Amino acid sequence: MPGRQSHGRPVLPKGAKGGSGGGSGSQKSKKAPRKSRDTIRSKALDAFAIAEAEVPESRPKGIRTRDLEEEPERNQKRNRGDDDDFDEDDDEDLDEDEGPPRKKKAKKDDEFEGFSGDDSDEEEWHVGVNEDDEDSEIDSDEAFGESDEEKFDGYSFGGKKKKGKKGEDDESDVEDDESLGSDAIDLATALDQFSEDESGEEGSGSGEEEDSDDESSESEEEEDDDLDKLDSLQNAISGFAGGDSDDEDQAAQGSKQKTKLSLADLGLNVNDPTIKKSLKLMKKEEKATKSGSSKKLAVPLAKRQQDVLLRSAAYEKTSETLEKWIGTVKHNRRADHLIFPLAQNAHDKGLDNAELQPLTHKTTTTDLEQTIMAIMEESGLGPTAKAEAAQEAGPDGEKLSQAEWQELQRQRRRERELHSREQARAKRIKKIKSKAYRRIHRKELAKEEQEEHNRLVEAGEIDSDDEREALDRRRALERVGARHRESKWAKLGKKAGRAVWDDNFRSGLTEITQRKEELRRRIEGRAKGSDDEDDSDSGDSEGNYDKNRLLAELDAAEAFDDGEPTSQLMNMGFMRRAEELRKKENDDLIGQIRRDLNSDGEEVDEDDEPVDIGRRQFGMGNSAPAVKLPTSSSRKASAKAANATEPVIFKDAPSLQRNAAPEPEAPSAPGVAGQWSRVGVEERKKSKKVPQGRVDELDLSNYALSAAAPKSSKPARKTAQVVVEQEHGSDDEDALHLPMAIRDQELIKRAFASEDVAGEFEREKAEVVKEDDDKEIDNTLPGWGSWGGEGVSKREKARHKGRFVTKVEGVKQKDRKDFKLKSVIINEKRVKKNSQFLASQLPHPFESQQQYERSLRIPVGPEWTTKETFQQATKPRVIIKQGIIAPMSKPML
Amino acid sequence: MDVDTVDAPLARVQNENGAVAVTGTRTQLRSKKEIESQRRIKQAHKAYGRGSRIDVRGIRDKKLRRNLNNLENKYETAALKAKEAEILLENQGGFLEPETELERTYKVRQDEIQKEVGIEVAQKRFDLKLDALGPYVCDFTRTGRNLLLAGRKGHVATMDWREGKLGCELQLGETIRDARWLHNNQYFAVAQKKYVYIYDHSGVELHCLKKHVEVSHMEFLPYHFLLATLGINGQLKYQDTSTGNIVAEIPTKMGTPVSLTQNPWNAVLHVGHQNGTVTLWSPNSTEPLVKLLAHRGPVRSLAVDREGRYMVSTGQDNKMAVWDIRMFKEVNNYFTRSPASSVAISDTGLTAVGWGTHTTIWKGLFSKASATQEKVQSPYMTWGGEGRTVERVKWCPFEDVLGISHNKGFSSAIIPGAGEANYDALEVNPLETKKQRQEGEVKALLNKLRPEMIALDPNFIGNLDLRSDQQKRAEKDLDAAPVDSVEEMRNRARGKNTALKKFLRKQKKKNIIDEKRVKVEEMLKRQQDRTDEKHAEKVEELGPTLARFARKQ
Repeated sequence: MPGRQSHGRPVLPKGAKGGSGGGSGSQKSKKAPRKSRDTIRSKALDAFAIAEAEVPESRPKGIRTRDLEEEPERNQKRNRGDDDDFDEDDDEDLDEDEGPPRKKKAKKDDEFEGFSGDDSDEEEWHVGVNEDDEDSEIDSDEAFGESDEEKFDGYSFGGKKKKGKKGEDDESDVEDDESLGSDAIDLATALDQFSEDESGEEGSGSGEEEDSDDESSESEEEEDDDLDKLDSLQNAISGFAGGDSDDEDQAAQGSKQKTKLSLADLGLNVNDPTIKKSLKLMKKEEKATKSGSSKKLAVPLAKRQQDVLLRSAAYEKTSETLEKWIGTVKHNRRADHLIFPLAQNAHDKGLDNAELQPLTHKTTTTDLEQTIMAIMEESGLGPTAKAEAAQEAGPDGEKLSQAEWQELQRQRRRERELHSREQARAKRIKKIKSKAYRRIHRKELAKEEQEEHNRLVEAGEIDSDDEREALDRRRALERVGARHRESKWAKLGKKAGRAVWDDNFRSGLTEITQRKEELRRRIEGRAKGSDDEDDSDSGDSEGNYDKNRLLAELDAAEAFDDGEPTSQLMNMGFMRRAEELRKKENDDLIGQIRRDLNSDGEEVDEDDEPVDIGRRQFGMGNSAPAVKLPTSSSRKASAKAANATEPVIFKDAPSLQRNAAPEPEAPSAPGVAGQWSRVGVEERKKSKKVPQGRVDELDLSNYALSAAAPKSSKPARKTAQVVVEQEHGSDDEDALHLPMAIRDQELIKRAFASEDVAGEFEREKAEVVKEDDDKEIDNTLPGWGSWGGEGVSKREKARHKGRFVTKVEGVKQKDRKDFKLKSVIINEKRVKKNSQFLASQLPHPFESQQQYERSLRIPVGPEWTTKETFQQATKPRVIIKQGIIAPMSKPML
Repeated sequence: MDVDTVDAPLARVQNENGAVAVTGTRTQLRSKKEIESQRRIKQAHKAYGRGSRIDVRGIRDKKLRRNLNNLENKYETAALKAKEAEILLENQGGFLEPETELERTYKVRQDEIQKEVGIEVAQKRFDLKLDALGPYVCDFTRTGRNLLLAGRKGHVATMDWREGKLGCELQLGETIRDARWLHNNQYFAVAQKKYVYIYDHSGVELHCLKKHVEVSHMEFLPYHFLLATLGINGQLKYQDTSTGNIVAEIPTKMGTPVSLTQNPWNAVLHVGHQNGTVTLWSPNSTEPLVKLLAHRGPVRSLAVDREGRYMVSTGQDNKMAVWDIRMFKEVNNYFTRSPASSVAISDTGLTAVGWGTHTTIWKGLFSKASATQEKVQSPYMTWGGEGRTVERVKWCPFEDVLGISHNKGFSSAIIPGAGEANYDALEVNPLETKKQRQEGEVKALLNKLRPEMIALDPNFIGNLDLRSDQQKRAEKDLDAAPVDSVEEMRNRARGKNTALKKFLRKQKKKNIIDEKRVKVEEMLKRQQDRTDEKHAEKVEELGPTLARFARKQ
């Protein structure tokens, strides 16, 4: 068989070829029904083999791969079709597109269930086998039905078998795979082996024996034996069923050598060295392939089925490759902006330009960088220096052992907790509160201070009493002569606006402030350290002093604040709450003490309650003025109270001074009806502005007022009103207090009495409502459908009245926009000119009016949004930059 | 620009006992960062958001859902960005603050302020003594740089008031009832005895608007370039100053009007009438959009705040009414000593009321941030009382200056906190150069709004027409000639690609042959034949050698 000879294995010895040819011949004889087909096949094979021989080493692509080349095109076409669908959907509904492929896959699986998935070797056999089948129109599923199986009964379908085996033996699997790996060559060997196998099979008689590995190996052995001699082969063929005994015999003999039909067997002497060489080579090859190619080749599938399988496999492959792109396509379709050339094709792709790299010796490339580096190095800031510093820091930190470190931390924490400020404060307050403490310490302290003072006096460190007096005098003189804030000089200057242009004045002002500051500091200094003057105070009233001390202490306690932010624990909510609670308690305590102290003293300052200074005074103004303190902070107030005797303090608290001054208090309007009337307010304000000089004037008016007040206050106030600047008041409540307003309103009412504006408006509204409402129009014409003219009775006329009524829909009263609005008529008529800017119907993708109108909500212009938003909103969808726009090389996602 | 915070929410009504009802209590724990970001979003939304989000979860169409979701996110980021951009508002406005409870800001006099402020600001207070030519009216340009003064007896003057430079001065010799700047400082309109005249910055008379007869009030709508005039006979007329066309002539039918103002938010005109009603007009309807009864007597003066939320009106009945003109509800009602002749609302919501010889400035008459408007007890500042009867008060834009024109000239008063501290140069630039002014004019003309766009709700454009189909059909004009779409298409030629060709090209895909298509094809064929004919003629005319130059068209 010339075809065989040239079939992929040129080194095959002639004898062997002949043997194999004989084998095939026997095969022919065996398969009687398929004879004619076989001849055809052999022809086909012949052609195939020739073709293969022509290109022996290039491993021509199998049909499968060839088909694969065609397949992608087809698939692409299909996929384009898919894409079109996709375009229409343009959504994540790609799953729908994916539907059909999935179905196909499922189908394919079915097929594979029907046949073995392993079709690599067999397929190639199909080239010319079933040409006659080609015109049959059997469905691929049905193509290989049970009938076929019956038909091919004599043949074992290798794939099927193998499937059965798979579970048992992995080795065979591996071998299969190997053989699968190399298509063309394997085909050649397989062909040979097939012929051999078949001959063996003939010996064994049936394919049933190959159910297990052992049996197959046995059969192998058989083959070997059978192939020992040609005649024995013939025997085996003739006695098909009786081969078993022979086999067993051979097995018992245990001759395991692979005695193949050799040239010697055929009675040929091999002398030619080249042939020998090739023989040797062949043997070697045989040995190598023998173990792997123990299987039998099954009957190849019909071409159609093969093609179906190939197509499906190819489809699977292509769809797999295309699926990789789906994500990218989706992404790009949804992207707001696309920028070409693509980033993945950029020349600097993969370089991170986002952040600056640290400067090292290696990275310094430019001159500038190098110079900077050098400077850094010089000044010890370079990378090397840093490392040193780190090293230095290292041992320092490590000096403390772990245990020590922990101990330290623990200690700190303990301290912190201990120093929880409110606890500390509470302690302090308690200390202050205890009467015993006070009693004990009062005298002791006094004594101590006295001693100290004496000591200082003796030492000459502070002035004696005389000296002090002299000093005081000097200070007083200074104050008398000096310019101060309330002085005439300052006031005049301020009035004239001299500060703007007069440098002299300005310097004077700064002097004032400086002195003020100085004085303040002095006062404070005295308040803290017990100074000489403080001492003298204490000498005056010991009780007072004691109280002052206590108050000062209280202040300190109140002001006590450790300031440091506490630990994490302390920052937590519940801890803070607890702290807050404690603080409140402490504050209460302090307040309590204060109150106690104050109740002792004769000067009662109710600093807790807000006092309106010089505002609300009832009765005659000669009552003793109470000392009042600004309510800003009770602490300061108490401090001031403590130092109440100090004249300097008044500078700080002008209100106090004013109140303390024996100023005849201006009695304002009585608080019964018109206490907040403008008169009172005005007068009071004036009194505030003009502290001393214009008291008399004020008094006059005030007395006049107060005299008039008890009576019906109208006339009196009227006179006052003339003086007072007029202004607006609010209508309702205030009007009650404003007699003028009342009178005016009365007048106004009378003035507009003739016009019933509101009533008219109501009527108009009713009219409009009626006009806009649903209407019934009687279209009945007299004489239409009835008799008209003279002589028709009124009743008849009335009967025909409402025969043709059209109803015109309008706006019902309750649907009106102004239904619930008083004194408003809103026009319900449609403004036609406006309606040209309305959308006549809901645009396509939107489902509701809200969605649509919402989509128009933000204007795009730069006036309404930030620049960034504007640019983002107006950025084109596809941006093409300069450069070569290469296609996407790989999926982006 | 005051941006109210989230902490003081818009509508939170206190109970009588001071308790506030909490609507949505937060139960789950949130991180501080999250809370902060939420807060920011809320703030941004409140200040710059445009309406509430719509629920996108219910949308079935996936694509629409995604698109709308993206849109919502865009809106949110836009609002956040706008909020972040507040950092660029570098200037802060501030009011006079009393140090103690006893101090009253209205006690502060102008000279006291002038003394305390810097020279630059102090210079802004000045008086022009023009007592010969009767009570003056004044107007500032939109940039606040130029002042227009017009005396009743025919004296008109423009000036750059900060530099004290006189622009032009006219002695018209006839009664002047009103004067207005147009879109910039180049033109102004004066309502004279009979007609309205337009002058340019140098005082040259440009136009005499003879259609506007005996005009007593004028307003200029800058975005629409409309000059609205209100005659003594009650005719309201709109004239487009860019094209010169009369846009609308509407009889108000309410007798001689007393006052006129515009709502800067929606360009609706508010007209005050003798019977105490205020009517709202747009050029698109012959009837008032809204009619409300504000006073018992004539409405002497009207003013609307910048955002178009509140209107303040004063009447002859010694009342000052504050109206919410979105809800059309009266917010508060104040009493005035004598009928107030003029009201004006500044950028920051200060309300100046000129009455008699006084002007009082009120702060907080209305605030959009609070649910319930409080009644203010005392004014913020006062001016006057020196025998000068106030004719008109007008705030200078972007300045803490109130212009008061009276029978003896003009006075400017410094009112701290009146002007917008941070101007938007894209909108109006008070420091603009000549070039910028010119460019701004062109831009404004390009962006000119059509008069048809004026409505109570200016955001209506693009909204859905909610009429039922029945209504639409009923309103359709049945007598109108049917529109020949083909003919229309033919006339809509654009370049080489004619509309016909385009139509056919598109129709080819559909393969629907209907009457229209047949007609179009015919028409196209005719056209082509015609061009071919022309071409042949030309070829013949040019002769065989030059035929190649005959253009086929």
